[in-house]
Amino acid sequence: MAEIRLDDVAHRYPGAAADTLSGVNLVIPAGEAHALLGGSGAGKTTLVNLLSGLQPPSAGTLSFDGVDVGSLPPRDRRVAQVFQFPVLYQSMTVAEVLGFPLRNRGWKRAAARERARDIAGRLDLTRWLDARAAALPLFQQQLVGIGRALVRPDIALVLLDEPLTAVEPATKWQLRRAIRDVQRELGATMVYVTHDQTEAMTFADRISVVHDGRVLQTDTPEALYNRPAHEHVAHFIGSPGMNLLQATVAGGTFRVGDQTVAAARGLGDGPCTLGFRPEWAALDRDGAGPVATVRGARVLGVEAHRPVGIVTADLGGQTVRTRQPIDVEPGDRVALRVDPARLVAFRDGVRVATVEAARA
Amino acid sequence: MRRWDNRAWLGVLPVVLIVAFSAVVPLMTVVNYSVQDIFDLNNRLFVGFEWYRDTLRDPRFLEALLRQLGFSALVLAIEIPLGILVARNLPRRGASAGVWLVVLAIPLLIPWNVVGTIWQMFARPDIGLLGAGVNALGLDFNFTADPVDAWIVLLMMDVWHWTSLVALLAYAGLAAIPEPYYQAAELDGAGRWQVFRHVELPGLKPVLLIAGLLRLMDSLMIYTEPFVLTGGGPGSSTTFLSQHLTTMAVGQFDLGPAAAFSVLYFLVILLLCWLFYTTVMRSDDVEGGPGER
Repeated sequence: MAEIRLDDVAHRYPGAAADTLSGVNLVIPAGEAHALLGGSGAGKTTLVNLLSGLQPPSAGTLSFDGVDVGSLPPRDRRVAQVFQFPVLYQSMTVAEVLGFPLRNRGWKRAAARERARDIAGRLDLTRWLDARAAALPLFQQQLVGIGRALVRPDIALVLLDEPLTAVEPATKWQLRRAIRDVQRELGATMVYVTHDQTEAMTFADRISVVHDGRVLQTDTPEALYNRPAHEHVAHFIGSPGMNLLQATVAGGTFRVGDQTVAAARGLGDGPCTLGFRPEWAALDRDGAGPVATVRGARVLGVEAHRPVGIVTADLGGQTVRTRQPIDVEPGDRVALRVDPARLVAFRDGVRVATVEAARA
Repeated sequence: MRRWDNRAWLGVLPVVLIVAFSAVVPLMTVVNYSVQDIFDLNNRLFVGFEWYRDTLRDPRFLEALLRQLGFSALVLAIEIPLGILVARNLPRRGASAGVWLVVLAIPLLIPWNVVGTIWQMFARPDIGLLGAGVNALGLDFNFTADPVDAWIVLLMMDVWHWTSLVALLAYAGLAAIPEPYYQAAELDGAGRWQVFRHVELPGLKPVLLIAGLLRLMDSLMIYTEPFVLTGGGPGSSTTFLSQHLTTMAVGQFDLGPAAAFSVLYFLVILLLCWLFYTTVMRSDDVEGGPGER
């Protein structure tokens, strides 16, 4: 397993007007389970193709364990990939599929079979070793694909491109669990591509949020959730996403409309955005709360999972959502209360570092 | 509550009539002829399987059948691999791909007797480019006199005429193989032969089955081209089943034996196609190939 390092990597398709990827700086330590999270067209697939070698970077360097691999063809990179749907050779048995990458690299038949048996054992495939791989249920076929990716002991990086797409929804978590378990067991460096934040959050040690050809933030799931570095990350992660409230900084305080919300030490005057998760806030009738209280909100609707549900309210033309006990009704005049220590401030879409100081 | 309405069968009637007139009636007429000796409309004799026995004992039939089987086997053995080879080397995209496809399709658009004529002239030992050219190299070549030369020209003609069909089908089959199969093979370190053996061949199987069946059926029925090219000669060395049959039915007006011959001919084609189909299907499951998900 290897440390994967991307320094200022960019990619542009020949003849295209703009980069599909630009300024990607990313270090994935050996043995990490890493997820690339983003919507369609964000650039995830291009990033994966750069890593596997199907496309060359048009700028920057890509190295595995300090060795520049940018110009190496896929077969020489010690990279394996699991695809969206099972990609297995028609006429081969499971043992033959698993042994194929080894046999192609000069392993003896018996040794390859031994290694295939070992990998199959870890993935609970032993009883299918001599069955035709393409005739297995989709779930097992995808497991075989994962096994094939892990079979080479010298593998540097395993790429998983939305590997749960083909399996039934009810068994997705089982497959994800199987991948995660074998990743831990073998200490494999894995890059898992998905548009599903739950998949990314439950699988990965760290997640890179990809948007519009850039990596916006690389962090642990907790950090992405609590301290998003970018408005897009704040909104994209969580369901519903973070509330983003238009506010201003004036004289060292955050103001929403004409109400003072919290202290904003060290931040210059000007517009900003205040972010908070729905469960960090509450809308209530009393309105008598601690520091971060914004009065004058009107409840628009409640989504009932009583006693806790999602309350949507209008606050001077902006919509806010909270996750709280349902003790209000549509039409109620309410006040918004937020834990000021958890507020995240953005300016020009990016988290403002000085808010950390403001919290202290 | 709905009751059964048997008038619905009337809806099927047009199809039944069309099939009856296009297939069943002519076929049964032939079967009818094949068990009778007919002199004129009012003068006929039921002879049972007499004509069949005669035909099966007729050395000319057996020789023609043997030649036919040899010809079809050679045609398949050359055209299928060659067609795959051509398809693999065609450009996958770009303007040149379209040009190549059109060029390949040209032989398929030429009427069969024209194909025969073209090759008849091309291979003439006196003035034909091929025939005269080979002779100029010092090799003795004359397809009108030498059975081996006649067979060579015949096979070349058929390969020229029909390999395009296999190539075009194989090209479509290759295009239907999803890209990840090639990517997986590349990452697995597979060589060219292994990519062909484990990715392309399984993906091509459904179309190769069709291509093989079409070429098998067509080659078993070949008539026009050898008729124009060699007229079945020299001697009867290129007389295949259909030409032999025509000689009997039209030339000699032996309707009874010709009918028995026709039925046997039909059964031979049916049997061979069935054998071909079941053999290919059994050797490996066709369903679930890389072309499907």
